[in-house]
Amino acid sequence: MPKLSLRHAAPSALAAVALLALAGCGFTEYPNSTFNHHTDFNTAIDALFQRLLFWGTIVFVVVEVALVYTIIKYRKRPGGPKPRPIHGHAALEITWTVIPALILVLIAIPTVKTIFQTQADAPAGALKVQVIGHQWWWEFRYPELGVVTANELYVPVGRTVEFELTTKDVLHSFWIPQMGGKRDLITNKTNYLWFTPNADLGTSAWNGFCTEYCGSSHANMKFRLYTVQPDEFAAWATHQASPAVFSAAPAPAPTTPVTPVAQVTGADSAAAPAPTTGYVFPRERLETEFPHVLPQTPIPAGLTFDDALLAGGDPVRGATEGFMLGGCIGCHAISGVPGAVSEIGPNLTHIASRHTIAGGLYKNDAPTLARWIKNARHMKPGSLMNTIGRGEYDPILKMTNTGGLDDRQIADVVAYLLALK
Amino acid sequence: MATLAAPARATAVPASSTGLWSWIATTDHKRIGTLYLWTALAFFLIGGFEALLIRTQLARPNMGFVSAETYNQLFTMHGTTMVFLAVMPLSAAFFNYLIPLQIGARDVAFPRLNAFSYWVYLLGGIFITVPILFQVAPDGGWFGYAPLTTTQFSSGPNIDFWVIGLQVLGVSSLAAAFNFITTIINLRAPGMTLMRMPMFTWMSFVVQFLLILAFPPITVALVFLLMDRFFGTTFYAIAQGADPLLWQHLFWVFGHPEVYILILPAFGLVSEVLPTFSKKPLFGYNVMVYSGIMIGFLGFGVWAHHMFSVGMGAVADSIFSLMTMLIAIPTGVKIFNWIATMWAGEVRFTVPMKFAIALIAMFTIGGISGVMHSSPPADLQQTDSYFVVAHFHYVLFGGSIMGIFAGIYHYYPKITGRFLDERLGNVHFWLNFIGMNLTFFPMHFSGLLGMPRRIYTYDAGQGWDLFNLLATYGTYLLAIATAVFVWNFVRSRTRGVIAGGDPWGAATLEWAIPSPPPEYNFAQIPTVTSRYPLWDLKTPSWHEGEDAHGDTGTPGPSPLKEETETHTAKALGIPMPYPTAKPAFTALGLVVMFSGLLFLRNDLFAVAMTVTLGGAAMLIGGLYAWLTSPLE
Repeated sequence: MPKLSLRHAAPSALAAVALLALAGCGFTEYPNSTFNHHTDFNTAIDALFQRLLFWGTIVFVVVEVALVYTIIKYRKRPGGPKPRPIHGHAALEITWTVIPALILVLIAIPTVKTIFQTQADAPAGALKVQVIGHQWWWEFRYPELGVVTANELYVPVGRTVEFELTTKDVLHSFWIPQMGGKRDLITNKTNYLWFTPNADLGTSAWNGFCTEYCGSSHANMKFRLYTVQPDEFAAWATHQASPAVFSAAPAPAPTTPVTPVAQVTGADSAAAPAPTTGYVFPRERLETEFPHVLPQTPIPAGLTFDDALLAGGDPVRGATEGFMLGGCIGCHAISGVPGAVSEIGPNLTHIASRHTIAGGLYKNDAPTLARWIKNARHMKPGSLMNTIGRGEYDPILKMTNTGGLDDRQIADVVAYLLALK
Repeated sequence: MATLAAPARATAVPASSTGLWSWIATTDHKRIGTLYLWTALAFFLIGGFEALLIRTQLARPNMGFVSAETYNQLFTMHGTTMVFLAVMPLSAAFFNYLIPLQIGARDVAFPRLNAFSYWVYLLGGIFITVPILFQVAPDGGWFGYAPLTTTQFSSGPNIDFWVIGLQVLGVSSLAAAFNFITTIINLRAPGMTLMRMPMFTWMSFVVQFLLILAFPPITVALVFLLMDRFFGTTFYAIAQGADPLLWQHLFWVFGHPEVYILILPAFGLVSEVLPTFSKKPLFGYNVMVYSGIMIGFLGFGVWAHHMFSVGMGAVADSIFSLMTMLIAIPTGVKIFNWIATMWAGEVRFTVPMKFAIALIAMFTIGGISGVMHSSPPADLQQTDSYFVVAHFHYVLFGGSIMGIFAGIYHYYPKITGRFLDERLGNVHFWLNFIGMNLTFFPMHFSGLLGMPRRIYTYDAGQGWDLFNLLATYGTYLLAIATAVFVWNFVRSRTRGVIAGGDPWGAATLEWAIPSPPPEYNFAQIPTVTSRYPLWDLKTPSWHEGEDAHGDTGTPGPSPLKEETETHTAKALGIPMPYPTAKPAFTALGLVVMFSGLLFLRNDLFAVAMTVTLGGAAMLIGGLYAWLTSPLE
């Protein structure tokens, strides 16, 4: 029977602490590590954490060594010394009250300093981004730039970005582990968080998460952050701020009273016939350098779609017929499309420029998008998006959808959306 | 009280002591303690099974073992079950069984109220647990943050079960707390001054005050939610401009003291075990008492450290941070005093002692990570990540559960008259110790490497795969450990080695009577002259040259007599409380009354009224019958 309960446990726990320090170094292996200095915010946090870890390790070692030493030295042995009734020792007890108190002072001072430093007002000239939480996706607005997008954030390196955090429904929390700490999105309240990505940070992709439990698809409320160079950011923002245009745009049906496809108008609309796609974080770089940022969620079994139809999808028909008949317009805004102004669902103006859909849950490609439109609730638990596919079973309403779109009509809508570069 | 009543009445007491009815009608604190123990262990197994399913789903990325909805119900019920239905009632089992024995009393102050507390707990526990079998279990998290738990966002009956169930369970905790406070203040044996009370009773005493101060805030929070859900009030209705932080503040004003409600009884238990198996008095008794009180007191001033990410502002963050750091001081003192208790002692590695030592070692880790959270900027990287999950499991499993197991192995011989098997106990301890660390230590890493809490699935290649797999293996190990324990627990009742009245050479009053104790506890109420009366009796040499065990009690031979014979109360002429099922009936009325609300969800107004009024009639009728019938 092993007699010394902790003799082996303590060293292995110590080794684990050492491993923890190592864990901070790996980038590719630990792509969401909080140990890094990519921003001023996280540099401050990590400095504090290292101090906590240092003192924590010392206290851990002292306590566990004292404990193990005591139980070994004073284990019951034949002929060992008989215990005496010692009831306490004032000086000793004062000592082990005062020493921890002093250690806490050494932690408390930098803590309070860092609190005031990181919660100060953002420096002037910060890029303002409104973060609006929804069950279960993220809306991002750049009010100074006129950009509205979803689930994918672009931020220029070297410039402070200030997030204004609000929510349309329940509580959420905004967290990009590599950039710094999190901040909650509280209903009927506005919170703020700011950080400055280092100027020498390359064009990179990062994971973001919702970290306040918000219902069925809390786990599926993710987002991506792209830290890009200032010129890339400018190109991205300019394009994102422009109304929707799709390159394959033939003239809309003349009988249609509303023009679903907006034409770029105004003085500087020379590029209208061949619109620029601006800047988009390159998909190839995600696949080769940032695979952890690409969604991996498998499409749940039981959802079928005739993928052959996708090649023949007609974007114009998708715009004029599917987008209206499917009821998409009831929830989704597309800038430049008259009537498509609802803010219930994500803004789709430049949806084809995004790499993910559905709160970062799935890749944005034709087969996935088609299935998503057909039966979102089958693909994402609790999803508030209606079931669009005709004959599809709606797991929330617990009934089969008798209206809606057939596969061909969905293929048209997919073609339309993927043309919205 | 029993000791003062006329003996003539006692002969009328029915002596039935076996059969189902004897348990339903019991008012004996020891039998009620035993009921608490069995029931809480059953809920512990249920909560553990839920954890097993949770960990299986998280073993690998993108597993489809359970659905998102089921997972959310599982983690909600795992937390709710472990906090309210397992750890708190396990502590209550020890309060019930031990407090009267440790202070030299024949029962608690209000034996029937005690039975009522138990039945409310059992029925409330069933009420909140059964829905998971029908996939309608609460799914808002054990913390139930508004507005997610309001009807607007949770329209099903799931949250109804939670809000009603917790409201009912609160009644049980409050009734018990008032009972134990009255018991400890009024029923101590002659000479049992407050500063001679055993440390378990002291820590329990502190916990009862925490209960009566912490439960009102959550009761208010739950009443608001209940009225929002059923009667259309707008306390948390965001469309009417409600501030959801109202719930968070009320919940954590309860929730943080609740942590100490869960841990202090375990601290008390190991403070009994460590001196016994070191053959030395508890080091720094006074400081241990004061630090316990200090922890309880400061525990009410730190609640908002659960809310550093909500944006309270730099000043509030700083204040709650400093208050939180302060708590580390009295807690640290306890750790060092326990080690000092063993220092220069004669340490025997029995199973209870191993669990007690493990508490010191493991709780220390939880305490250190707790100090890490106390620093708000660092906490912003840690809160709602797996690092926090690691932290509080080191506190609650490494602390509370280890302490409770120490208590179970220590007191099982007193309760049943037989030892738990030592060999199986060792297997249990080591599997438990290794399993616990394998489960929870890797969560420190996955959390600091960016894994959020309460997610039912995650993608591969995020740096979390290995840690999650290890944690799942650890949980399986814990399941095996628990199976060994259950086997031992059940088997030793009939097959264990017979234990005498004082099998461990312990010092306090409960060991001066036979095992299991007779229904009347003490044939003669003992007179106490020191903190360690049984050691005074058995090691009188310790008196020489020193004050009697650390206080100013009368030096010289102990007036205590060990009782070795068991009689019936009737034979000794000791009046005992009548057995009565009225408290159980009243408890049933309470639960029926509340459950009528469930029918409002389906607009069955007449049914709801019938059930509620029927339950109210049972409650009032039961109370009337109970209060108008004599105790003994």
